Amino acid sequence: MSSKTDQIILNNKKLFGFSTALSITKRLTILYAVSVFILLAISSVFLDWVLVSDLEKEDHQFLISEIQSLRVLLRENPENINAWREEVERETLASASAFVKYYVRILDEDSQTLVETPGMKEIISPLSFPDPLKIISPTAKGIKKKGHDGRPLLLITALVEPYRYEGKKRFIHIALDMSHEDAIISDYRKKMAIILFCGVILSAIIGFAITKEGLRPLKAIAKAFQGVGPEELQKRIGLTQWPDEVAILAGAFDMMLERLENSFTALSQFSANLAHELRTPINNLRGEAEVALCRARPAQEYRQVLESSLEEYGRLSRMIENLLFLAHADRKDALVRRSLISVHKEVEAIVEFYEAMAEEKAIKVICSGTAALEADPILFRQALSNILSNAFQYTPEGGTITVTIKKLDNSSVCVDIIDTGIGIETKDLPNIFHRFYRSERARIHYPQGTGLGFSIVKSIMDLHGGTVSVKSEPMKGTTVSLKFL
Amino acid sequence: MRVLVVEDEIKTGQYLKKGLTEHGFMVDVSDRGEDGLHLALTGDYAVIILDVMLPDQDGWSVIAELRRMGKQTPVIFLTARDTLQDRIKGLELGGDDYVVKPFAFSELLARLRTVLRRGPDRQPESIRIADLEIDFHRHKATRNKKRLDLSPKEFLLLWLLARHTGEVLTRTYISEQVWDINFDSDTNVVDVAILRLRKKVDDPSSVKLIHTIRGVGYVLEDRSDHIE
Repeated sequence: MSSKTDQIILNNKKLFGFSTALSITKRLTILYAVSVFILLAISSVFLDWVLVSDLEKEDHQFLISEIQSLRVLLRENPENINAWREEVERETLASASAFVKYYVRILDEDSQTLVETPGMKEIISPLSFPDPLKIISPTAKGIKKKGHDGRPLLLITALVEPYRYEGKKRFIHIALDMSHEDAIISDYRKKMAIILFCGVILSAIIGFAITKEGLRPLKAIAKAFQGVGPEELQKRIGLTQWPDEVAILAGAFDMMLERLENSFTALSQFSANLAHELRTPINNLRGEAEVALCRARPAQEYRQVLESSLEEYGRLSRMIENLLFLAHADRKDALVRRSLISVHKEVEAIVEFYEAMAEEKAIKVICSGTAALEADPILFRQALSNILSNAFQYTPEGGTITVTIKKLDNSSVCVDIIDTGIGIETKDLPNIFHRFYRSERARIHYPQGTGLGFSIVKSIMDLHGGTVSVKSEPMKGTTVSLKFL
Repeated sequence: MRVLVVEDEIKTGQYLKKGLTEHGFMVDVSDRGEDGLHLALTGDYAVIILDVMLPDQDGWSVIAELRRMGKQTPVIFLTARDTLQDRIKGLELGGDDYVVKPFAFSELLARLRTVLRRGPDRQPESIRIADLEIDFHRHKATRNKKRLDLSPKEFLLLWLLARHTGEVLTRTYISEQVWDINFDSDTNVVDVAILRLRKKVDDPSSVKLIHTIRGVGYVLEDRSDHIE
């Protein structure tokens, strides 16, 4: 199933041409890895800085304390160079085997070396040392330099002013071998690089796994969507427990299903009605033709059959025309060519069309009010004609049809068509806009109607962004209101 | 008068040829756009009836080519394409009328005659059929010298029928010409109007002029000299 789903997704990608879009899983995996990389990088840079500065501080403290003890030596034995040498050699040679290796040199103010750690000259020349420190404090800073053999050294020069010998100041040169610290730092950096690399890889793997797990409901809902075929439109997937985020999707999908189901039902109802409406004329045509051909007849009889057929054909053609009109209106590709019309004039024109009918049935037609309106004149006439046609059909002799035109406000116009006809039963009222719907009484009263008249009126009003409403009382009359907004 | 029918539906082509021939036209039928175009360019036709959807070259390109070559023969489109856009396209390309299938043959005939009548031909000022006399300018109609009391629309209806005497007029054509109603309506308003007109025009006389052609429409003619 999963591979099938993937296949479908893949096909869709090709279909809609967005194959460049990364999958959510890939995207989240990359984001996880990048964010872990940034976090680790920041923290290792910080830790590196802490380590380096701590080591430096320690080194300085060590050198400062050595300087202090040398000063004590110089104070206690101001004249005794041999004692200095002894001490220097002892201290620094002892350090040679230990972790902390350092070199000391004592000079006079003319830069004459008095005493130094043996071999110091070969490692670093006296000229490389910085200017003497002004104050010997724990925050004093030395300088870093490379020795002749490439070893990193921390150098400090100190002035021993109060303890003069032969009136001369003394300087102390002290150099600390820092190769051990450098080794620590580079070792630390190597480890950090490994941690960074492993962290990124690991976070990508974990991110991938989390995303897969997190997106599982999405796969599940896709599967549920696929389970809804055209025969199971009554299915609802929101009944299952979904996580909140997916529940929204399920809800929206259910709403879409609801609408689809409604239109499917309407469509199949419409097809059933259409088939039923077609059956009658086709049946008449077929029956008449068959009977006519059963035996030889006088020409007059054939003629009658053809004439009767023509009437049925006319009915079928009208039905097709009406259905096509509705189909175009549904797809909104019916062109509405609006122009400013005088509602009164248009009403008069249609009423004139029905004049003969009105006189024949002795129905009084009253027309009142005026208004101007932006509408398609042909569609307006057709809507009005359909309503008037009904009104004339269902109003008995001697009745009255009133058309009132009212201006509601600046842009909206209301046209009411009020008749004193047989009315529409309350149970039929909600259905009169349904295509092909005809009440029992309408079928008896006006068998040649198509049941599309009101649907067309509604479509025309929809195209104009207006509304149509019907009020009716059986045996009293019907009022149809067209509101153009 | 010669008419060219370009129509790929064989049955339609056949009955159009039959019907038009019986109404005095000489008819050529072509079932392909290319052949139709060739005939239209070489033959001398009074009018061309052109289907839009043809197997090779569609009606749009046939008329476009025809007009490009400078042929101004009137063209009536005959098609199942019924959108307003199609109608507009047909007329913009130089068509003279646009008839949508399914159509009534008499409707097509009426439109054909309208297209042919266009031009310098003038409307007569008065018509006389049997003892019916109509004076268009004075809005006066008499039967056997007795004036008929007609409403303005009734007069227009009578004038229309009289002007087309001998031609069957469909309800759609009548409502379009008399009331300017450009859509098909379910009502039998035209029937009622004719019924009332007939009472006024035919009742006073023994010679009946307005006849119903069942399933088709109405015709005004003097049938007194031939036997029903």
